[in-house]
This record gives sequence, structure tokens and C-alpha cells, in this order.
Amino acid sequence: MALRPEDQVVGGLARRWALITVAVIGVAIAVAPLAFGMFTKAPQGATMIAAFKPYMTAARIDGYQAELREINAGVRQTDTSVAAALGAGAGGQAAFDKAYPDFASFDRQWPAIDSTMTTLMDEVHGNLGNYQAMAALPSFDLFPWFFVIPGVLVAGVAIVALVRPPRRGRRWPRWTLVVLGVALIAAPAALQLFSRGPDGGQMMSAFKNIETTNNVQKIQGYFGTMAVGQGAIRLDIVPALEHSGLTPGQVITEYPALSKLDANWIHILNDMTPMIGVMSDSVGEYQAVASLPPFALFPWFFVIPGVLVAGLALVAWRPRATRTVQVGADAGADHEPINVHPSLSVSVRQVAS
Amino acid sequence: MIRRRLVIRRRLAVLSLPVALLVGGAVAVAAAGTASPALAGAAGSTGKHALNGTFKLAPGACFGDAVNGTYFRMIFPHGNVTTGQFFQNPDSTCPNKTFTLAVPGTQGGLATGKYQPNPTPPFNAQGGANANLIVQPQSFTAINFSIATNKVDPQTGQHAPAPVIYDTNGKLSGQIEAWSAAWNKEYFNQGSPKPNGSQPGLTKPLTGTYNAKTHQFVLTWTSQVVGGPFNGFTGDWHLSGTFEPAK
Repeated sequence: MALRPEDQVVGGLARRWALITVAVIGVAIAVAPLAFGMFTKAPQGATMIAAFKPYMTAARIDGYQAELREINAGVRQTDTSVAAALGAGAGGQAAFDKAYPDFASFDRQWPAIDSTMTTLMDEVHGNLGNYQAMAALPSFDLFPWFFVIPGVLVAGVAIVALVRPPRRGRRWPRWTLVVLGVALIAAPAALQLFSRGPDGGQMMSAFKNIETTNNVQKIQGYFGTMAVGQGAIRLDIVPALEHSGLTPGQVITEYPALSKLDANWIHILNDMTPMIGVMSDSVGEYQAVASLPPFALFPWFFVIPGVLVAGLALVAWRPRATRTVQVGADAGADHEPINVHPSLSVSVRQVAS
Repeated sequence: MIRRRLVIRRRLAVLSLPVALLVGGAVAVAAAGTASPALAGAAGSTGKHALNGTFKLAPGACFGDAVNGTYFRMIFPHGNVTTGQFFQNPDSTCPNKTFTLAVPGTQGGLATGKYQPNPTPPFNAQGGANANLIVQPQSFTAINFSIATNKVDPQTGQHAPAPVIYDTNGKLSGQIEAWSAAWNKEYFNQGSPKPNGSQPGLTKPLTGTYNAKTHQFVLTWTSQVVGGPFNGFTGDWHLSGTFEPAK
């Protein structure tokens, strides 16, 4: 009797294909960091996160927002009551603007500066939690190795099992691959990637319009404008108020917002300048991290291969049902059927056709 | 047999000429490459020699729109040396506040062949620079800035050689890699070239003039800021005064 083709399909062959697939998955995991440029980009992410660390606290951001309000109050007071006092009897606001052109120029630009900077700070404040989630992830320096090490292990086990198949009854490749697969599945949960990944992704999206060369240069320009405006207050307007008969104490009492801005200007510079520096220095690093795959996908880069590896290992070594195959030189009624396990049928050749 | 030897000798002679030229050329190139600039200057065939001493600075001064002496300007990113846009320093004493004037420091100016480093501490409590050997600290948007030359550039962390300036028949050249501005607890390398030898953006080599009789000099260069809050800005430096040779 002839063997049916399906009876010739052997467990060994299926296992071989499963191992080849697992090896390919392992290699794919291992080389993924190279394909994504992670070895250069991930360390830049680590640098960026470290650089922002001193500035990404609620206290620091609250401080920046308070300073913006302080500048705004000082500008508004100078623009209104101080301008009225200094321009009184001499042509009002127009005379004031003419007498203090540097302040007038700053005053015209301030609303746009204030709006942009306040929006920026609100945006940064709104992403504090996302930043902290991102910073709580394992160091970005390690990220490529989270792929390379399990990938090499998975591919290595599969290749060894292919080249030197275990003796009958030994199933170490199966259980090793299952453990590796389960580890891959569990890793994102252990690292809290399912929550922190999307949070980091949100921060990256929010910073998309902040961490650009154009935006940084715009802020550098604002800094120049603000310095000129404050210089006019410090060097022209306050002396003019004192020249008008007010003592320094009276200037403080009558124009507290202007005086506060004048007194705190150096502190504001001390505070804001380094942050502009970090924003500027991080543009390239941000762009590098942004060019990686979306953070929200990262957990699935572990889970999907993990499921495949563990699943293929389990399926390839699953116990097969015994099937009855009749073999013989003929199909005579006096022959007893021989029970052959399908996995052994590879050694059985058609003896009759 | 004899004829064959003659042919071989002739061929060897023909081959040896280009080989000798190549070897000789290579030796000459190697010798030129390894010769120290000081030695090159000392050769005197080009008249190039190092000016070792102190470039004593004349203080900056404004006369209407004209400026002379020692001063510096800062150019915004995408600007240029001729038309700017220039950063305005409200503390400038010039009518044109894009010029920040310098006042000579306790050593009178820029020394070549040695460093004039930042003091300890380099900054005061407000972030103003304390360095005062080359120039006196000057207010820049309410915070003092100053200059130093350091063996290790404080911004880049890279080694920077001591300044070297050559006079070649009245024309100045050289390197000032270690030139470092300090302001608001930040450092900005303002050398040319940069400590890694690069000349980014608007950075241009040091040039100038020198009168060997009067020792009057003018030195100029530009240096783009790389990194930090003024990333992309360019410092335009103009030093003038009298060179005092080392004793």
C-alpha cells in the first residue's frame, strides 16, 4: 500500500522550519537597533534627558512662569503709569515713546514675546509628568542592548538546535526558547513601557515645535529684545524718574512692578539663559530621538517577537497524535497493521506503489 | 651577455630618476610638515616671525558712529560682519550700542606664548566674570563679561594651545584658539580656529597689521559660538594697541 503524502510530512521537518523562523526572528531583533540607528540616537536621548533634568521640575517651571508675569507687570506699568508720569505735560505717550525709543520698541514686541513664551512654558509644564515617565525608563544608552542581547540569545539557541539537534527526548531548545519568548513578552511590563512609552511619545510630540533651530533662534532674538527693553528701564527710565524728583525709595513704592523687574533682572537672566542654552544644545539630540520609531510602539517590539518565539517553540515540539499507517508489500488481509508515529515516518519509504 | 648587462643598467638608470624624485619630494614635504612654526618664522626667508610678548590694548572709544581701540560686537545667527544684525548691549557707552568697548586688564592685554587663565572663582555671585588680566570685566546686559586664555577651554573641555601671532612683513596671522569669553556663569569659546581646529560658520582666521617701527598693531577675527544660549551667534573682535616684546 502506498503512504499518503500527508503521512510523509514529518515532525522533524516542521521543527526545522520553526527553528529557522525563530532564528530569523532572533536575528531581526538583534539587528533592529542597527536598522533604527539606535546606537547613535539612543545615547543622544540619554544626553537630552540628563540635560533637561535640572529644568524639568514644577518649582523651576513655576519660577519661569512667575518671571514672565513679573516682566509683563513691569512692562505694563512702565507703559502706563510711568509713561504718564514721564510724558505728562510733554505730549503724553507719544513723547514718552520718542524719549525712550528702546523701551517703546520692546513694548511693541512684548505681547508677542509674552504670548509665545507663556505658551511654551505652559506646554513644558503640561509635559512634566511625561518627562518624568521618560526619565524613569532605563537609561537610553542601554536601549539597543535590550534588543541585541535577547535577539542574539534567541537566534543562538535556534541555530544551535538546528546545527546540533538534541537527542531524542531532549527538549532543551523548546524550553529555552519558551523562556526567552516569555521574557520578551514580560520585559515591557517589567519596564512599564506600556505606560511610559506613550507618555514619552506625548512629550516628544509636544516638543516637536519647541526643539527646533528656528524656535531656539526666535527665543534668542526675544532675549536680545528683552535685554534692550530692560536696559532702557534700568539705564534711562528709572534715572529719569529719580531725576523728576522721586527718591529711589519712592520709585520702588510708586512703581513696584517696574522696580521689581529692574531688581530681579539679573536673577531672571541667571535663570533663563541656561535653559535657552539647553534648548539650543538639545535640538540635534531631540531630532535624533524623534527619528526613532514612535515610543508607543516600543512595547510591541518585544511582545510580538516574544509571542512568536514562544509559540513556535511550543508548536514545533508539541506531542503528535499517533496515526495508524498500514505498510507492507501488499495489502493482504493476513497482515497486521503497524502503528507508526508520524514523526518517525521519514524513515519509512514507500515499499510498494 | 655584456650587452644585456648594459641594457639592464640603462633601464635601472631610467627608473631611478623618478624614484629619486619621489623620495626626495616626500622627504621635502615631510620636513616642511614637521618644521615648527617658530622655526619657519625664524628662517626669515619669508620675513615671518612670531611676536612673543604682550599685545597691549588701547581702550575702546566711540566718536559718534566711529569706534576705535579695542571692542567687540556680536552678530545674530544668519547675520554677517558687514550688516549684522548685531546684538545691542544696553550697557555700551557708545551711541551705537552694538559696540562693546574694552578696557585693558591688569596685564595690559593679550600675551602670546602663554596663558592668561580664568581666576578662581571665575564668576561672582551674580554670574559676572572675574577675569581681569587681558581686559577688565565689562557689563553686558547687566552682567559682567570678560576674557581669558586657558590651557583647557572651559566650554569645550578641549586642549587649546597658547596664542601665537606671526608678523609677515607687517601682516599678522596666527591662532588664538584659547580665547574664551565668560558671562553669566557660562563660557563661550571665541577663538579662531576653535580648539579642535575647525572654523564653523562665520569664524574667520586672525588677521591684522603691524608696524615694526612703532609696534602699533590691529588684530581682528570672528568666531562663531558653538553651543549654549548664544549658539550660532558670532563674535567680531577688534584689538588694537601697541605690541610690547617679551623681555
